[in-house]
Amino acid sequence: MKLFKPWLRWEFFLVVLLGVEMAVFGFINPRFLNVENLLYSSSDFAHIMLAALPLTLVIITGGIDISIAAVMGLASIVLGVTWQAGVDVYTALAVALAVGVLAGILNGLLVANTDINPLVITLGTLFLFSGLATAIAGSLGAAGYEGISGLPREFTRLAHGSVGPVPYTLIFVLVLVLLYSILLHKTRFGRSLYLIGANKDAARFSGVPVKQSIVTAYALSSFGGAMAGAMLTAYFTSARSDLGSDALLPTITAVVLGGASILGGSGTIVGSFLAVLILGYLKQGLLALGVTSDVSQVVTGLLLITVVALKYWAADLNQLRRNRRALRTRTNLEGGVLPENQAST
Amino acid sequence: MSKLPQSREAVVLLLLVALIAVIGLINPSFWEPKSLLSMLNTSLILILLATGEMFVILTRGIDVSVGAMMGLAAVVLGLALNAGVPLWLAIVLTLLVGFVLGAINGVGVAFVRIPPIIMTLGALGVYRGMMLILTGGSWIETIPQSIKTLAGMKVFEVSVFAIATLLIVLLTTLLLRRIRQARYFYYVGDNEDGAFMLGIPVRPTQAVAYALSGLFAGVAAVIFVGQIGFVPMQTGYGQELNAIAAGVLGGINLSGGVGSPVSALIGGLFLTVINSALVFLKVPAFWNNAIAGAILLIVVLIDFRVRVAVEMRQRQQRANVRRETSAAIQPSFTPEESR
Repeated sequence: MKLFKPWLRWEFFLVVLLGVEMAVFGFINPRFLNVENLLYSSSDFAHIMLAALPLTLVIITGGIDISIAAVMGLASIVLGVTWQAGVDVYTALAVALAVGVLAGILNGLLVANTDINPLVITLGTLFLFSGLATAIAGSLGAAGYEGISGLPREFTRLAHGSVGPVPYTLIFVLVLVLLYSILLHKTRFGRSLYLIGANKDAARFSGVPVKQSIVTAYALSSFGGAMAGAMLTAYFTSARSDLGSDALLPTITAVVLGGASILGGSGTIVGSFLAVLILGYLKQGLLALGVTSDVSQVVTGLLLITVVALKYWAADLNQLRRNRRALRTRTNLEGGVLPENQAST
Repeated sequence: MSKLPQSREAVVLLLLVALIAVIGLINPSFWEPKSLLSMLNTSLILILLATGEMFVILTRGIDVSVGAMMGLAAVVLGLALNAGVPLWLAIVLTLLVGFVLGAINGVGVAFVRIPPIIMTLGALGVYRGMMLILTGGSWIETIPQSIKTLAGMKVFEVSVFAIATLLIVLLTTLLLRRIRQARYFYYVGDNEDGAFMLGIPVRPTQAVAYALSGLFAGVAAVIFVGQIGFVPMQTGYGQELNAIAAGVLGGINLSGGVGSPVSALIGGLFLTVINSALVFLKVPAFWNNAIAGAILLIVVLIDFRVRVAVEMRQRQQRANVRRETSAAIQPSFTPEESR
């Protein structure tokens, strides 16, 4: 069911939703629509974007990766520990990202080579990675609230610096949106992800390198988690094992709201990106109105349920309409006689 | 087919006994009834949440809101008790709240057809937010003594809560075996379309599974408030993942249709024993999660290996039978290949 009409695309709906959100908040509080402020506050949810974009790839294959939140903490503490050991901070960053990729490859290998539910596997690795992070932090006495602080400014500047009003992180995310979009929509690898999500057996029989693609998707997802962890480390100027532990639910929420089917086979990078913006600015806007984060949690949850329910209803209605049309066409062809045994199909 | 999950429970039970034996050899105080009982008491909440979660997983769903439901139910219990509601009424109210919260999930999944993980993920945010709104973000303290007295009551040194939990698990197991309607959970999870064709009320069954998950979260909330004596805002935080992990460890299959309350019981005990064991082994407690995760992965991987081996053997047997029959009977006869 490919929709060529742009106004029927999910991304179009998301843009409208984002526009409505901005309009409503702007109407209530005109100061909210300060462009500089909006750009600046994107740093608050940049880590969600870094994680949500590649997670989209995994969800498109019909899998899920709930270990990304743990990878954030693991990458953060690895970065801190490596730096503390006297290594240059950029080398430490590279080590942390490499650990993220390795974690993802482990997830991918386990998912690709067994028929165990990806939720179970990444649940196991979630415990494993977060446990390792706590253990590393604990063994080195960095388990406290402070974590490993005193990271050099040249590193923390990555999360705080900006070109004019545009933060580095936002530029970086936009580049990633472009890269991942090309990867997903313009390469063979991207197309095979959709096919794997739609029908894994069909993908295998048509010569798609299923295992390799799945491992790559999980590796990218974990790499995103590690980048998010590094970004959070720079943002909070300290490496902690529990960084990002709250990021799991917002990240999955964003990908699903962005139009990826949790059953696999559909989803876009731009959709996920727009969904993070919607959710992020919803929280910001509610905070600006003096609504506490507790209430914004409720609003986010309700938004997720309502939007997805509407989407499924719309799809159901569409299906029903097409079924009726098909049935009508057939009864016309068969001389207006509805065959008794096929009436229910 | 029915032999396999039972053997999985047996394997994990064996592992659990071996684990307790080994830790006891290293540190004999682990074997003392006092420490075993205290571990049992610690595991009650996890066992109850995992049992509730089991109904949902049986129907091939997933409920990531059990922790939030427990938290919200605990807040209601705390507020009700502080408002002077009698203990029994407050407990009934808590169970009712749990049931209703679960039923909301159930209606969303079964009748509005929202995918389970999304419905319960949304509900997780809503329930946790409501918990904070109800209390204004502060802990509920100064809870009347009545419920703590209940928690402190013991029969032969075993706390009333532990006995109640074990009875609930036992009763649930029996009911799931004896009542025809209770088997619906298995049928729906094993083959939804098939169950529908057989005239089984698929959607109501799914809805009831989520409601039961909420009800069990309510029971867990009562035990939590009794044991802890106050309601912090983190109540139930992250418990959903622990509950799922416990169930999976005990042999509940996330692909639906396989599992029993005994799985939840064994899995819950196992995770608790791992957590307590490190203290007795004098290993720093921050290794807990890493070890729990590694064990979970190893168990599901072994399970996968065993399943593949069994399936291969069955196929081999079928192929043998087929070869013999086709040799004996005319070649025109081709036995139906099932699956």
